[in-house]
Order: sequence, then C-alpha cells, then structure tokens
Amino acid sequence: MKTLILGAGSIGGYVGGRLQQSGADVTFLVRAPRRERLERDGLVIKSTKGDITQKVKTVLGGAEGGPYDVVLLTCKAYDLESAIEAIAPAVGASTTVVPLLNGMRHIDILAARFGDAKVVGGLARVGVAMSPEGVILHTSPFAAISFGERDGKPARPALVELDAAIKKSGIDGGLHKNIVQDLWDKWIMLCSLAAMSCLMRGTVGDILEAGEGQAIMLETVEECRKVAASAGGDPGEKGMQNVGGYLTQRGSRFAASMLHDLEKGSMVEADHVVGDMIERARRAGIATPNLRMAYAHLQVYLARRARGGIGKPAM
Amino acid sequence: MKILILGAGAVGGYWGARLTQAGIDTTFLLREKRAELVRRNGLVVKSPKGDFTVPVKVVTKGEEGGPYDVVILACKGYDLDSAMDSIAPAVGPDTTIVPMLNGHAHFATLDARFGAARVAGGLARISGMLGPNGEILHSGASGVSFGERDGKPPRKALVELDAACKKAGIDGGLNLDINQDLWDKWVMLGTIASMCAAMRGTVGDIVAAEDGAALMRETLEECCRVAAAAGHAPSDKVRSGIETGLTQPGGKAVASILGDMEKGGAVEARSIVGDMLMRARKAGLPAPNLRFAYAHLQAYEARRARSGLK
Repeated sequence: MKTLILGAGSIGGYVGGRLQQSGADVTFLVRAPRRERLERDGLVIKSTKGDITQKVKTVLGGAEGGPYDVVLLTCKAYDLESAIEAIAPAVGASTTVVPLLNGMRHIDILAARFGDAKVVGGLARVGVAMSPEGVILHTSPFAAISFGERDGKPARPALVELDAAIKKSGIDGGLHKNIVQDLWDKWIMLCSLAAMSCLMRGTVGDILEAGEGQAIMLETVEECRKVAASAGGDPGEKGMQNVGGYLTQRGSRFAASMLHDLEKGSMVEADHVVGDMIERARRAGIATPNLRMAYAHLQVYLARRARGGIGKPAM
Repeated sequence: MKILILGAGAVGGYWGARLTQAGIDTTFLLREKRAELVRRNGLVVKSPKGDFTVPVKVVTKGEEGGPYDVVILACKGYDLDSAMDSIAPAVGPDTTIVPMLNGHAHFATLDARFGAARVAGGLARISGMLGPNGEILHSGASGVSFGERDGKPPRKALVELDAACKKAGIDGGLNLDINQDLWDKWVMLGTIASMCAAMRGTVGDIVAAEDGAALMRETLEECCRVAAAAGHAPSDKVRSGIETGLTQPGGKAVASILGDMEKGGAVEARSIVGDMLMRARKAGLPAPNLRFAYAHLQAYEARRARSGLK
C-alpha cells in the first residue's frame, strides 16, 4: 500500500514518520523549503515514545510517485483549498482520502471535490508541535489517530490495510466503527475548549478560578452537545462526563492550542472549529450564546491581526 | 483654599499640575518613590494643550502640611484601602473628600470610614497615562466633575474648587447632578471596558466582528438597565452619544483596562465590571455580556496571580 501524506508538519510528520519507521511505503507532499530541509536533516522526531531521525521520500507535486492508495490530509483548515489543489493530481480512481482535520466542514468540501465515496472520516489525537527548525516535538503521552467509513459500512481494503500499518507503527487507535461519532466527540471537546480558552485567554484552571467560570464552561459544552445531538451525534452521558471532567479540573494547565496561536499572533481555525458549530446550531434552531461570544472574540483577534495590531499596545 | 491630591498619575497629576500652574495651593500626597521623582523633576506634562513642567509641593504623609479643605482621591479602585489609610490624617472636621474613582463601590467604603457628609461625588474625564520616566502623557479630554451627592446647594469648598478649576483651564467643574454624571460615566466605562477586555481589541476591532456592534449595544443596554434600576438611566442624548462612539467602524477608542491587561498590570475588574454585574443580579436584570466580561477579567487575574501571563 502506498500512502501520500500532505504536509510534514506536526501531525503529518509524526504519523508519517512512525509509519515509515515500521516499514510502510510513505511519501510526503511538501513545499520546496520543507523538502530541502528534509533532504538535508531527514525527518527528525523528538518524542515521549522515542526519538528518531530518518530519511523520507518527498514530492513537490501530487502527480509524482503515484498512484497512491491512501492520501492523508493533515493541513490546517484555513489551508484546505490549497491542500485540495495540491493533492488533486494524486487522487486516482481507487484512492481513499483520509482527512485528519478538526471539525467537519472540510468533509463536505472534500466530498464535493473528489466524490463522496473517496472521502472517509478521520481525526488525530496527537499532542505535537513543530519547532522553528522543523523538528517534530511530540510532548504528550498519547498519539492516536482514528478513521473509518462515514456510512458505517464494513471498511474498504485500503482502510483495513491502513489499520494494520497504524497498529504496526505503535500509534494508538486505527479503524473506528463509528467514526462520525468519534468526530463529534472530538469536535465537542475541541470546540468547547478552544472557545473558552480563547474567550477567557487562560487555561482550564484559570477559567475555573472565575466565579462563574465552571458554569460558563459547562454551558458551552452543552451548546456543542445539542448541535451534535441535532445531527445524530449525541455523545451520551458517558461521553459528556468525559468532556465535562476534563474541562472542570481545578488547577488544570490544559489549554487549546488555539490559545497559543492567538498569543503568538498566528492564524487560527476560528471558522472551522467555532464558526461552523454556530452555523449548524443556527440551522437547527439551537441558541449558542457562549459560542457566539467566543467567535466574536476570535473575529476581533483576526481583525486586529489583519491591521497589524497584534503585539502592539492597544492604546 | 488648600488642596491635597492623593496620586500623581494621569488624573491627579494632570489636574494638580494645572492647579499649581494657576497659583492654587496644591499639595501631592505620594509614595516615597514617586515623591522623590516628582520632587526632583517637578511634574512633567506632555499635552496637546501644550507641554509644561511645574515644581509642586509634595508630602509623603497625610499629617504633613494640613489641614486641607479638599482632599482629592485619584487612586485606582484596587488601591482604595491603602489610599484611605494615607489620607486619614489629612482629613479634619472641615475637610471635603472628592473621590475621582470609577464606578460606585468606593462610596460605601469612604462613607463608612469618614462619614457621608465629608464625601462629595466626583469623576474625571482626563485621558492619559504615565510615560516611562514618570511624565504625564495627556492625550485628550481634560474635564472633571464634582458635586454634592444629595443634590443640595454645594458647600463652600466645592464652590471654591470649581473656581480654581476654571482658573486652571480644567473643563467641567461643579455639577449639580453629580449622581447622574457618575452613572453616565460608569455606563460608558462599564460597556467599553467589558467589551475591550473580553474581546481584547479596540472599538474598531470589535465592530469588525460580525456580531461585534450587536454585542456592544447589548452590553450598553445591560449597563443602562442597571443605571435605570438605580434611578439614573442616562438620557437619550447621552445614551446615543455613547452608542455612536462605541460602534464607530475603525474606531480607535479603547478602554485603558485593556492597556493594563496587555502590560500584565492590575485591573479595576471589580469596581468597573463586577459591581455592575452584582447590581444587575440584585435587580433581577439579565446581564450575560457583563457576566462573560467579568469571568474574562477574573481568569486574567487568576493567570496573573500564578505568573502565567508570559
């Protein structure tokens, strides 16, 4: 099985690196500067599960080195359009596209472009970042990806093979029988955390120190749950306890990576993670006052960023 | 008339420098460090109305230089307790205290300590900040407003203070309805401070968000209702003036609380936003936006307390 990974950033680099380490046939579709660096230094991973440096195959265009059985998409949502253009030549008649993005909106966009049947569901739970030198820094104790057929039917051979390769690589997770629920579960968690970390500009612990911090946190989770439920993705009591437990841990230093992005002045997945949740709520007639406030905060950030006002005094 | 001003920041410093310049007997009560700097350099004012430097009288203890007819309190809300201790020796039987703090919460504290009869109402509309060398960077408005809180004819000290302000070229002065003016300012400040803090941007940045202007108007409505519950709803004219200013596309206006947050400084969260929210609660009024803003400020304070701002 031949796998193409778009991007050798934090998640793509980590997953692809582990796959290759365990003998899978992996190619990275990257831009020229990243390729140059990978050719010079190799793909360098510093990880709680062991460091590794290895040579990797890279291509600059999707037309090279194919056809591919699986294309793993690990871009940020705001780069989706250019990512689609980049992978398009690599997507043949029997290629499966496995997106590992946050949220859900990209799935419709990908399905519209490549056909519903070629696009499966997928997500990553890897606490990983990339250093300015291009080193993949995997700092969390967990590293899992999850993927599966969106219609719940038995998995196609490509996914079964990918599952075997993932298991061999030491990455947790793999084929999921109800990937759509898993996508909702992750989105509920991420949207709640990102909305609150950003709106309150603090960790879970900081937010809980505010008089109504916990109430506001739990209301936000409930807003997301209602949206999921309206689409048949209610995580159920146990799923909610999970999220609620995580987000009401006193003293927790947990924060959404989106907060780090805000504080660095970087681009954020505001529309994809929070805006789209609100859009779905609106269509289903669900009130989301907390998400609305958080989304406004993110839009204010983007407006200030666009005028070059981040990092300069507001007054 | 002898005036004592506690604090030589943007408000106290600018006002007192102008009074001194106009020949009014004005003394500053300052902490040791600030006192030393001001004694050495005088008060250095950079202002659109003209830069100037003026030597001023400085004391570091309230016992010195008194008795005073008027004590002007120009501290931040979170410094009120230590400010009261500092001025206490300067407050005699005939002294009038004119607090220039934001919000309303300080009145109960001051009344309890000094007696309501000694405490007049006051507020400042002086925009500015301290520069890196302790100079006063005055950036625009230069008005003050003060008066009797019970609406009765003003006492002699306030009439004299009014005359002194006029002589010194300070706008405003004696206000016969100081309570309304206090509420008008608090409504404005409660709105802009809540939104600039919770959204971390200027008015223009906020209005650029899809729901930004709507959120600003809702927050203004929340504050107006609290004022109305206290019998001090702003007039239509005042309200529409606030609304226009706070929904200006591209508006550069910003609450100083955001500047304080971005410097990692202390914030008047409780007196400007928290107390407005508590009053809404007591009156049974919904105040969802103030609630978010206060939670934001409290999360900021928690993060600051654990040195987590970097």
